Amino acid sequence: MNKKRRRKARVNSEAPDDQSAAEFSFSLTRVAVSQICLSVGYTSTDTSSTLNTLTLITTKFLQSIAELAASFSNSANRTEANLFDIVNGLQDTALSTSDCFPGGSTLHNTESHCLIKSAVLRNLSDFVASAFEIPFAKPLPRLETSGSHGGDSTRMARSPEMRSFPAWLPPFPDSSLYLEPYTKERSDHLWENSDSVIGRETFVETSGVRSSGRLPLRRASVRFKMGRDCSNGGGSCKSDTRLERRRDDNDGEYGREFEAKKKIGEEYIYCADIDAGEWNM
Amino acid sequence: MNHGQQSGEAKHEDDAALTEFLASLMDYTPTIPDDLVEHYLAQSGFQCPDVRLIRLGAVATQKFVADVASDALQHCKARPAPVVKDKKQQKDKRLILTMEDLSKALREYCVNVKHPEYFADSPSTGIDPATREE
Repeated sequence: MNKKRRRKARVNSEAPDDQSAAEFSFSLTRVAVSQICLSVGYTSTDTSSTLNTLTLITTKFLQSIAELAASFSNSANRTEANLFDIVNGLQDTALSTSDCFPGGSTLHNTESHCLIKSAVLRNLSDFVASAFEIPFAKPLPRLETSGSHGGDSTRMARSPEMRSFPAWLPPFPDSSLYLEPYTKERSDHLWENSDSVIGRETFVETSGVRSSGRLPLRRASVRFKMGRDCSNGGGSCKSDTRLERRRDDNDGEYGREFEAKKKIGEEYIYCADIDAGEWNM
Repeated sequence: MNHGQQSGEAKHEDDAALTEFLASLMDYTPTIPDDLVEHYLAQSGFQCPDVRLIRLGAVATQKFVADVASDALQHCKARPAPVVKDKKQQKDKRLILTMEDLSKALREYCVNVKHPEYFADSPSTGIDPATREE
């Protein structure tokens, strides 16, 4: 039962951002639709479902125009839609009403390419000229999104080295998010500097410039000892009594073989000059 | 020759009218904010850096909603008014957007919004037993 509850909680926690974004945009659209209804002459609605229905239809109308325009642009081998695409989309959407049917053939006229003859645009121009402006109830804060820049007249100028990437791709994230700053000292954490390595001073000296963990091609052989070593700060030194008992029992080949595979404290042996073929015990 | 010149002039006028309309879009503030319209357009794959096209979509949507609301208002006014008992109620007549008027208005735009008249427990509820056996 507890596992099922945990699974349900996980599922619910995964998509709250998408739901909240959709709800937020829907609520904003509902405010705009209610403002338009007020301008027409209505004072209220009988139920909230009526306003929600009209708001939903508004969003569907917007999405249908966008889908049609995008399909027109894609069929013309373009990713960005232009005026012709959106006017064609509006014409197709308005085919159901008799008002906007005239003038649709002029859109596809190869000689004139005149858009203003379309009844859709004529009606829209008359609407813009005659209708009163109804600004949105409250100003919306403009969010800087890292997504597409469609509709933004002031597009972010890409740097010269980024111009090879298509403009319709989203910009790269900030370099601080994926570049690791090498600020902390790692000398205490490197295995080469631990007490387990005999002659580590010579190793450090011969290494020259610190290569941030990379082994040089030519390096001196490393000698290391196995056993209890509690001198390293931080880690607990736990001895595996079970392993030691085995070692005491079998001092022969098994013991030596096992000794090679034993873990020292909390640290692993990565590579101690295995290329050189030496295991200095 | 003259016909060609006339068609050229007409085309020039049409282009000027189109340019003027697109310029007027920048002066007109639609009710639906540009960011909201851009969000819905981007959801459906529409991508365009020109703000005028975003405004065009917003204006088209606003006109659509206004037309639907005005048609519903006409249906509301066309309905015979109920008998008014008090004079105060007659003065304070409020226009209320109902689902019935909205569905009638949307029917002209090929959008079917219909309330079920009743809810039944099963598809065969209310059918005559004789026909149900058949």
